[in-house]
Amino acid sequence: MQEEELQRAEKKSAYELFFDIPLGPQHPALKEPAFFKFKVEGERVIGVDADVSYNHRGIEKALEYRNYIQNIYLIERICGICNVAHTLCYAQAIEQLHGKEIPPRASYIRLMIEELARIHSHALWLGVAAHEIGFDTLFMYVWRDREVVMDIIEMLTGNRVTTAINTIGGVRRDISDEAKEKVRKGMNILEERVKYYRKVALNDPTVNARCSGVGILRPRDAIRLCAVGPTLRASGVKNDVRLDDPYTFHDEVPLNVITCDTMDVLGRVVVRVDEMLESVNMVRYCLDHMPSGDVKIKLPLSPPVGEAVSRVEAPRGELIHYARSNGTKNPERYKVRTPTFENIPSVADMLTSKGDHDVNIADIPIVLASIDPCFSCTARMEFRDVSKGKTWIWSLEELKTHCKNRG
Amino acid sequence: MEWLLELLQILVFPGILFAILLAFIYEWFDRKIYAKLQNRVGPLYTGPSGILQPFADFVKLLAKEDIVPNDVDKPLFNALPIVALTLSLTGFLALPITGLRGIISFNGDLIFLIALMTLICIVIIYSGISSSNRFSTMGAERAALQLLGYEIPMMLSAISIGLVAKSMWVYEIVSTQASNIWFLMGPSVLGFAIFVLCGQAELERIPFDIPEAETEIVAGWLTEFSGRKLALFRLTKDVELLYLSGLAVALFLGGPSGPIIPGLEPILYLVYFLLKTLFVLFLLTTLRALFARLRIDQMVNFSWKYLVPLAILQVLLVRVIV
Repeated sequence: MQEEELQRAEKKSAYELFFDIPLGPQHPALKEPAFFKFKVEGERVIGVDADVSYNHRGIEKALEYRNYIQNIYLIERICGICNVAHTLCYAQAIEQLHGKEIPPRASYIRLMIEELARIHSHALWLGVAAHEIGFDTLFMYVWRDREVVMDIIEMLTGNRVTTAINTIGGVRRDISDEAKEKVRKGMNILEERVKYYRKVALNDPTVNARCSGVGILRPRDAIRLCAVGPTLRASGVKNDVRLDDPYTFHDEVPLNVITCDTMDVLGRVVVRVDEMLESVNMVRYCLDHMPSGDVKIKLPLSPPVGEAVSRVEAPRGELIHYARSNGTKNPERYKVRTPTFENIPSVADMLTSKGDHDVNIADIPIVLASIDPCFSCTARMEFRDVSKGKTWIWSLEELKTHCKNRG
Repeated sequence: MEWLLELLQILVFPGILFAILLAFIYEWFDRKIYAKLQNRVGPLYTGPSGILQPFADFVKLLAKEDIVPNDVDKPLFNALPIVALTLSLTGFLALPITGLRGIISFNGDLIFLIALMTLICIVIIYSGISSSNRFSTMGAERAALQLLGYEIPMMLSAISIGLVAKSMWVYEIVSTQASNIWFLMGPSVLGFAIFVLCGQAELERIPFDIPEAETEIVAGWLTEFSGRKLALFRLTKDVELLYLSGLAVALFLGGPSGPIIPGLEPILYLVYFLLKTLFVLFLLTTLRALFARLRIDQMVNFSWKYLVPLAILQVLLVRVIV
């Protein structure tokens, strides 16, 4: 009884000047579990602490127990939305281990599907961002038009989201001429709609009020904190794997890297919307210039001993896969570095009031959404003693002992 | 028998039961129009075109577990949903529906009606604070700030109507309009616009749904309420929506008045009332679909920079013209 009273005595009043606002692990603004603890003063955010590891699935370990073909389907499930980028990156890494080139037609199809997936991912993001600022009408409209690209992807690959098109040595399906025609029609619709949304984003007064000047990330900080993808480009840094380290004929297909120097959430909207238009053009180029030939070469089940690193510009930024083979059917080690993980320090920076830029509690969801977070691929196992500021990593055995001891 | 009739009027028609029924139908209308504007279908399965959906939601919530957290201020927490609903229903009783007079009608009742709206907002602030949840406290804080923003322009636009009609009695305001023209057609267009915008803020709907901003502070002041209490608060919101559109109709669109066939007055009045309130509701819904949510500082800024000066201008205009 006394203890209870003591606890009650120590309890802080909600009227105290600073208090912590927890955001997550479950929160309407987050579509996936992540935890952010904000220190706020009134409506102003003065500090943030991020914790992302709520959904660890042990995929990297699981990859070591499956063969290379099975792994395609596991890799695909690291992230639902950028599954094309993941399988592409995986296939490239394994082909690199084999030391084989895939047929040019397969490369073109891969590129095309990758860009279609980028359109669909950015459209999804635009809808979510609109929802975060309470603009549900835009959300509904964008997602309605996203159906166009979803239907195209379904027609080409057989699935709306999880495409399963990339495989080791090429792609699993060819594109027929009628399909090409349908894709062209779809691209025309999309171009018109995306241009309209660009106009809405730039001209609507309430969207502007909520997005411009919010979540500032200066180029210097963006580079220092290793931001990637549209988050980095919206800070005015020209960086894109498709341009810097071209893969699958990205050096042949014309690409304008979109940057924006406003460095705020509106900049990130504009970068993503313009990238959708850019992707539309790239898909059209692929349709026009697609060479004929095979779409797949047959490769042996086990690649020779060696290491490979492959990079892909996923919709959320640079994706890196590392593979090490010991000549058996299963990879010896596989490592995935996803873009959202790289962007977490930047988002923590954006969410801290500094200098003239105040971050309001109301800005948290949209700023958080502006990096297009995808926490399912971001989980890491790491242990932290917050009071001592110590960080360590446990092996499986240590973890088992720990669990036993705790009963 | 007089008292029995009066009791029936208050409890059934055009009183509480009617208000609740109408509130459900209006919520359905609001949701359906909102869905149409967003290219969705909206409520569909419960009843014809989903017209029973709000009622089904209400019943479902009534059956849900009613959680009272340990740290809440229990008497307040339990009482406030009922108080809120009572206040909004009281407001509804004063609206002229089947005649030019409401069930409650006295000289100066316009002030009473405006005060009721403020009281509902204060109930909201209390319910946020009594929940002693961070999100609720912030929602309450935002509701209080928002009240500072919209209350004054709303009162000014109502007062400008009082000036035109030379009375603060809703009955006289309505009968002036019935014998002349609707004030919306006269000098009060600006006042109507301000009233509808402020009404949107009072009802906490987009772009002013700041106190319960879902993606920011979960459900704001409503976060800790569940089960019956949540159902009552949702019903309060619906009745308030109805009450506010009814008040806008009474003040600006001539209340239930219109062309009359002798002998059929009450029915025709009711039909006109429904049509006009649906029109105001349509405006409110359209506003909801058009904008993104503002931030609280932007809302208060907007209100004091534009709405308050415009409302003062409206009062001056009325003084000069009338």
